[in-house]
Amino acid sequence: MSGDRPEPSATSDRETELRRRLEEAEDTLRAIREGEVDALVVRGPEQDEVFALSGQDSYRAFMEAMDIGAAALDAEGRLIYANAALCMLLGRSAKDLQRHGIFGALSEAAARTVRQLIQETEGSRRSRQVALPCAGGYLHVEVTVAPMVLGFGQGHAITFTDVTERIEAAAAHESDRIGHAIMASSNEAVVACNREGRITHANAGVRQFCEGTTVGRLFDEAFPVGFALSSGLVAGSDLIGVALAGTAVRGIAATLMRDGRMQDLLLSAAPLRQSGDTIFGCVVTIANVTERLATEKRQTLLMGELTHRIKNTLTLVMAIAHRTIAGSKDMSEFRVAFGRRLDALAATHTLLASDVWKGLTLEDLITAELAPYVTVGSERVSLHGVDVRVLPDTAVALGLIFHELVTNAVKYGALCTEDGRIAIRATSQGELIEIIWQEEGGPTVAPPEKMGFGQTLIARGLGQQGAQATKVEFRPEGLHCRMYIDADQTAKG
Amino acid sequence: MQAPSTPLKLTLYVAGQTPKSLAAIRNLQQIVDGAEGHYEVEVIDLRERPQLAREHNIVAIPTLVRSLPVPVQKIIGDLSDREKVLVHLQIGH
Repeated sequence: MSGDRPEPSATSDRETELRRRLEEAEDTLRAIREGEVDALVVRGPEQDEVFALSGQDSYRAFMEAMDIGAAALDAEGRLIYANAALCMLLGRSAKDLQRHGIFGALSEAAARTVRQLIQETEGSRRSRQVALPCAGGYLHVEVTVAPMVLGFGQGHAITFTDVTERIEAAAAHESDRIGHAIMASSNEAVVACNREGRITHANAGVRQFCEGTTVGRLFDEAFPVGFALSSGLVAGSDLIGVALAGTAVRGIAATLMRDGRMQDLLLSAAPLRQSGDTIFGCVVTIANVTERLATEKRQTLLMGELTHRIKNTLTLVMAIAHRTIAGSKDMSEFRVAFGRRLDALAATHTLLASDVWKGLTLEDLITAELAPYVTVGSERVSLHGVDVRVLPDTAVALGLIFHELVTNAVKYGALCTEDGRIAIRATSQGELIEIIWQEEGGPTVAPPEKMGFGQTLIARGLGQQGAQATKVEFRPEGLHCRMYIDADQTAKG
Repeated sequence: MQAPSTPLKLTLYVAGQTPKSLAAIRNLQQIVDGAEGHYEVEVIDLRERPQLAREHNIVAIPTLVRSLPVPVQKIIGDLSDREKVLVHLQIGH
């Protein structure tokens, strides 16, 4: 039946169509086999689905899973693909990036750097840091560009790693390091405390106040300082409390017992603020002012001593002037006698000053007065027990007395001949020191007819420094003088 | 080349931005550049509109279909062999 059989032309068309489909199927298989396709359409029960053959999708899935920004550019720098992390980092949508390209989303400087990196990338990757403006300031991003083979040619893979935290951590670390260096370089003890009052940092200076480790201890435990009542503070924790409340305090005087010795301290404290006004701790500096206070006390004492001596000296000079005028025949004699007495006074003061006001020995005083006339240590002068240090006021008085005794000896006694001798002996007699000046070998001595200033000064010169009255005897063989000073007028050498 | 009375209708089926899809788009662009009046080109992303695969019975991607003039001609791959494309689809001459 012709009706059951297809017409020859229809059969031919159908065969042609089948052949075409077969060729197409074979071509598809060949194309898949030879890697000319990278995706297939798979018929589903309801709708068709597209599956990638290459690793492209898994690669993209991987890129999307990455928390660093990643993009692929073609050889002309056009954006092929950017992952979500990069969109977020640059604050642009994927469509926006596709439309304007990656360079449009970067600052001018950053875009220039990335272009430069792309140019420098020849077979190897290149990295550089760029700063991208963001809401809170700048994002520091490490950009890495690596060459990449694309299906249609060469391109570049670019990653953007946000290193802001690392940079900020490095900056914070550097700042911390500088802070430590400042603390370490301070001569004073410096500690940092947290809000609890516990020490978190301490420099080497704290060792002068506290044995062992201070970090981790409460400030009060490490430094049990005491304050003057007037400061209003009771313990170190009060000072910490003031600083933690936001007030800086300076130069608070305090004391600390260390090895049985009281140390004088000056304490300062200031709050440590984080960004904003949050106070997270405080820094306390402790300066040891024990030596300084001792020096200040000493200076005050010396100033008082100086004032006292100047007053005494002026009174003495007035007295010397009056008595020298009374005993002088004329102005010429007065000038000589007064000058010499002032010289004696000056010599004693010079000696006192050179020994830093600690007092002089009897030997110093005697030697200074005798030196112009006779060699101390020669046979003519013998000294015994004169290594006794006396206080400054007594030294001044004794200096003048020795001056008068030497002057008298040169004029009328042992030193006016070549054979005269002088023996000076100091002996301790309980609470007293007896000083005996004994001359011999000079001309025969007769008591003077009248009492001159010299004799008066010798007899009374020690005044209140003398423990007993000075006794002057004009013995025929030589002058004999006994002076007494209290043992408490001597000073330890 | 003389312009045909009816432009050749070319449909390129791609799958998103797979390398070969992107390459095929670029290569096709180069082929039709300067003779836009001769071609009516459409690019269909089957990732976005997979239902359109059935119209031309597309299995492999990328595939370029010359739907006009009939008979329909297909070439599978990224179209990087320009001569093969021109001969196979009988275009550009």
